[in-house]
Amino acid sequence: MLKFIVRRVAWTIPVILLVILMTFVMMRQIKGNPFQVTERPVPESIQRNLERAYHLDQPWYVQYAYYIKGVALFDLGPSLVQRNQDVNDIIRQSFPVSLQLGGFAMIFALLFGIPLGILAALKQNSILDYASMAVVNAGYALPNFLVSTLLIYFFALKLRDHTGFPTNGWGGWQSWILPSIALGHAPMTYFARIVRGSMLETLQQDYIRTARAKGLRWRRVVGLHVLRNSLIPTVTAAAPTLGYLIAGSFIVETVFGIPGIGRYFVTSISGRDYSVTMGITVLLAVIIIVANMVVDILYGYLDPRTRDERV
Amino acid sequence: MRKRSIMWAGLVGILAVVVAGSSAAMTGKLGKGDAKAQVLRMSVGAEPPSLDPGLASDTTSSFILRNVMDPLIVLGPGPALKALPGAASSWTVKGANVTLNLSKNVRWTNGKPTTAQDYVWSWLRTISPELGADYAYQFFGIKGAEAYNGCDPGKADCNALRAKVGVKAAGNYTLKVTLTSPQPWFIQQLSHTSFLPVHRATVEKFGKKYTEAGNLVTNGPFKLSSWKHNASLTLVKSTKWRNASSVKLSKVFLPIITEATTAQNAFDAGNIDINDTGVNPVDIPKYKKTPFWKVWPALGTYYYGFNVKSITDVNQRRAMAISIDRKAIIRYITQAGQQPAKGFTPIGIAGGITIDKNSTMPTTAKLTEAKALMAKVKNPKKDINLFINNSPGHIKIATAIQAYWKQLGLNTEIKVMEWKQYLEFLGPPPNASVDVFRLGWIYDFPDAYNGLVLWKCDAGNNHTNFCNKKFDSLVDQAAKTPDADARAVLYQQAEDILTGPKGDLPIMPIYWYTFTALVKQNVKGYYEGPTSDIDLTKVSIT
Repeated sequence: MLKFIVRRVAWTIPVILLVILMTFVMMRQIKGNPFQVTERPVPESIQRNLERAYHLDQPWYVQYAYYIKGVALFDLGPSLVQRNQDVNDIIRQSFPVSLQLGGFAMIFALLFGIPLGILAALKQNSILDYASMAVVNAGYALPNFLVSTLLIYFFALKLRDHTGFPTNGWGGWQSWILPSIALGHAPMTYFARIVRGSMLETLQQDYIRTARAKGLRWRRVVGLHVLRNSLIPTVTAAAPTLGYLIAGSFIVETVFGIPGIGRYFVTSISGRDYSVTMGITVLLAVIIIVANMVVDILYGYLDPRTRDERV
Repeated sequence: MRKRSIMWAGLVGILAVVVAGSSAAMTGKLGKGDAKAQVLRMSVGAEPPSLDPGLASDTTSSFILRNVMDPLIVLGPGPALKALPGAASSWTVKGANVTLNLSKNVRWTNGKPTTAQDYVWSWLRTISPELGADYAYQFFGIKGAEAYNGCDPGKADCNALRAKVGVKAAGNYTLKVTLTSPQPWFIQQLSHTSFLPVHRATVEKFGKKYTEAGNLVTNGPFKLSSWKHNASLTLVKSTKWRNASSVKLSKVFLPIITEATTAQNAFDAGNIDINDTGVNPVDIPKYKKTPFWKVWPALGTYYYGFNVKSITDVNQRRAMAISIDRKAIIRYITQAGQQPAKGFTPIGIAGGITIDKNSTMPTTAKLTEAKALMAKVKNPKKDINLFINNSPGHIKIATAIQAYWKQLGLNTEIKVMEWKQYLEFLGPPPNASVDVFRLGWIYDFPDAYNGLVLWKCDAGNNHTNFCNKKFDSLVDQAAKTPDADARAVLYQQAEDILTGPKGDLPIMPIYWYTFTALVKQNVKGYYEGPTSDIDLTKVSIT
């Protein structure tokens, strides 16, 4: 297993370098001057001074080399727009918030999605099954911003005297609930569907029939054999989902006014804040890679057949 | 069993990390409103990009700086916006030589006095090529500033140029400024945040982190007590300010809310007293019926520019400019009490009534006249490419104007671009495919010069290919005329060349901007000045 992990970690280096190169090239392909914010033109001497300050007057490969050197030293450079901040500061301040939000949304998704899927599978073709799948389909179809807006309207405005939920911000448990539901509802429905599908498949397996034939209690069969084997696809889906929840929370962060990294990511692109865009891209690449690696390791525990081959 | 416990341990571990992260997380929690405690809660629409006066170039940063610092000059009520003493108690202007006498009781929050040397060091820092300040050009009216800013430290010794910049301290409380030419607006321009000083020892100690709460040393009515980036800022009253007894607010909590809907929700829920983030156009009618809706005139113009090399006949430009119904655009689309623009220079500026006297942009459409003008055009440009940047409001206005122009027999294609690409596309010179484009202009200082100068032949914001030597000389002449009335007459002649009865119409102004906010009724004295100047020392909670 150790060898496997070492090999996977080593592989991340060229992947990250490639991600940086691609982002670097693409950012410079889209036109636009990071230093011209309004219609006010930037005088030539000032433009030159700014470019010099950020090494933008150098050829692209020199800029790339500067950047790689910075990344190796965990220094992602200064922000071109937030003039008194470094990318490291921005990540340090906003990443924990996104991580929390993504984490809570994930917990919500797993906590409600898995039981919903199990319930639907065990009561297949019953009213319960149809009802829960109807909820799941409807939930999956509803976009983030609509769910966010509805949650705010009902629970933070109409019922605020009963719930105490704020309309925006990120501080204290009351402010965590609505955004976590808004962000977690889509993956929740996704997990419910996966669990239901794989449960149904597992329930048809010979070993389940054998277990039942041997007189094992139904609850134990489900708990030990069905559930465990049905959860493998969920675990596979969970890692990219967690990455998506951390990185893709822009809309929820914006609607709820949450100071997370998603907001910075999007505004950095429209503002041509090259270093912030690249810094966050690198961070997200690392998260996705690590998440996938964790899945592979977890996979080994859940399904011993895959372990030996991988090691 | 062992595997299961490892998995559980893993899950618990993840949970622990997530929850532990909460201590590091920033909060956007809103403080409780307390009338007696004089706490104001007001949303701002963006994270301030910088609280360094040299680097700040946006309205949010300027608003905060304006209230934590003591500007040399404050502007009186509009439309005159007269220069009133601030940190400078008096001044004398002799041609290009300006002497500012600093008030002796302006103190930094660390108790030290603010001196003329502070200003000299701060201004030279902003002008310096090393800082890379966007707003260094605010100083270009000072002798030697542009040359020093344009120096390349890698290739030349810039110290000699630094020494030649026309700003000197004569003693601790006298600041002498030499301008490149007499500039009648210079004293008013000093109200701009670029001219605020920085505390040298703090800048040298903390480097670019000096603007963080805890490090920042200021000299104004409030001080920065906390700055949770991207989440909120908190200001508290500074007891050391020279006029602290007049300040009623003890604390100002400023949550950063970028979305209008989010700010509206916070306002409706009673979590903020002022929504300065904005209101969605669709919700404006609802708020207009409440006492919370406030509108103030701004010095700014929303306009369409013509590429005069593409739409060459002035009759066609005039026909297009008078065929639109400005009043209807404001009433049904923008809705925020904007004023139909008669000319380019906002009427609310000093001398505005004189300057726009002959301007000809009508409030409602003059279709018959427009059609008659179109009939005179020998080779009309029938297919118009109208370029705008991507924003729902701009698209709606463009769609309305497309319909107006249809009545003149013009086929308008609206081309929408992302903001930064759009700016690059417009040049100058503009891309050849541009026939008409949209832009706006918000004044840096309250003098018509700041807007008219855009239409000089070589101006960096002149995307129209318009060049009129007479216009240029009128603007230059006005710049040398200290008498305000005489200057207004010169500006009027220049404005006539743009939008007068015989004007060239390189642009068609549409409306003059306003500032809007939602303000709770228990907030008294809140006012947004025409240069987006918000003075919190006048605000109280009742």
